[in-house]
Amino acid sequence: MRIAADLDRCEGHGLCVDQAPEVFDLDDEGDLVLLVEGEVPAAQEAAAGRAVDACPVAALRRA
Amino acid sequence: MSGVAGPGSAPGAPVRDVVVVGGSTAGATAMRELRGHGFDGRLVLVDPEAGTNRPPLSKAVLAGEDADASVLMDHAALDVEHHRTAAVGLDAAERVLRTADGGAHPYDALVVASGARARRLAGPGQRGEVVLRTLDDARRLRDRLGTAGAVVVVGAGFLGLEVASAAARAGAAVTVVDTAPPLRRLVGDHLADVLVRQAAGAGIRFRQAAVRLSGDPVDGVLLDGAHLPADLVVTCAGDEPAVDWLAGTGADLRGGLVIDERARTSLPGVWAAGDAAVVRRGDGVVRQPFWANAVAQGRVAAADVLRRPVDGPVLDPYSWTEVAGLSLKVLGLLPVHGPPRVVEGAVEGPGLLAWGDHTVAALGLRSSAPRLRALLRRRGDDGAGSGASPQ
Repeated sequence: MRIAADLDRCEGHGLCVDQAPEVFDLDDEGDLVLLVEGEVPAAQEAAAGRAVDACPVAALRRA
Repeated sequence: MSGVAGPGSAPGAPVRDVVVVGGSTAGATAMRELRGHGFDGRLVLVDPEAGTNRPPLSKAVLAGEDADASVLMDHAALDVEHHRTAAVGLDAAERVLRTADGGAHPYDALVVASGARARRLAGPGQRGEVVLRTLDDARRLRDRLGTAGAVVVVGAGFLGLEVASAAARAGAAVTVVDTAPPLRRLVGDHLADVLVRQAAGAGIRFRQAAVRLSGDPVDGVLLDGAHLPADLVVTCAGDEPAVDWLAGTGADLRGGLVIDERARTSLPGVWAAGDAAVVRRGDGVVRQPFWANAVAQGRVAAADVLRRPVDGPVLDPYSWTEVAGLSLKVLGLLPVHGPPRVVEGAVEGPGLLAWGDHTVAALGLRSSAPRLRALLRRRGDDGAGSGASPQ
């Protein structure tokens, strides 16, 4: 599983960080930072999937 | 009122069959949490549609087509048996859910997340009223916004102002009508004033009057009896819990399906979450049909179904909107009255604002929910707001 983030749509709610802090972060400006490049490690897949579902602005999707 | 029933099955009996009615935010959260907690029993979803992530409907989806697919939820990874039909009844004693396709689904635990329907104002038989609740609604509205010269939005809440913003952006002449002053009852005087000024700056007009839809098909509105014509009338007058299918089951249905702090209903083995639910408070009920509450209640319901400790409240007061390009994120009790304390920035935005130790808001400022939570916690610890609020 890979994560595609639409940074224009992201409003920085940060709910993905709540769900999967090892995959997502927000920088000091509140902008989304993906901590994983390419394939999400198997151990993080469930949490990353929850984060995708938890995005209130549909800025994340499974790619 | 009836007492709150204990967990569904006999104490200690494992929960094997869970049925969830409604696969949008509340139901999807409940399913995700059940699986996340290791529930490996049978998970049945009853919903005629695909689950929908609703907040983008009035924002990104009205703005363009590229968001359409991303608002539909994908439950494939959750090992869910999805029946694309509606729930029509319940045998609460036998613990069987009945569906429109003739199905009967026995459950150990049932999570009702059947959502809500847009409230309509059209008279019997009156055609042409437009509402915004589903992805199809949003697509139709987006098409109409492309050609409508004059748009009337009925209802001056978050949804009404978001639709008005999209219409103004599309070049329409927009009037928002409501019987009450715009946004004021929802967010309080300061935030309402700032957001309404922002809307007015984008050309959106406001009228306060008694409203009826005129014509068949709808050709405008009657404001205190005077006709205001429009190419498009959008009703954004709130929503009604879709729980009529539970009538006669003995469920407590005062304004929605009533739940307690563990998302339990008055029926044994039945939980509820999201827009279908209202939360019991004292002798009354509270209804806050916001996205964050759907998530909170889905989480609580899933934990309690599995008899795990409930680690959060059923009301998580986080909400947000965007009016004519000005964003607002609020954590805490609303409405808030009087001038805020400016934590950072400017009182009219962009800024971080606080009212006492109970409410913080990011106005025109990119700030995350975790950051607002941390700020509110800090203010509580400091006893901020116990003194007078500075001007």
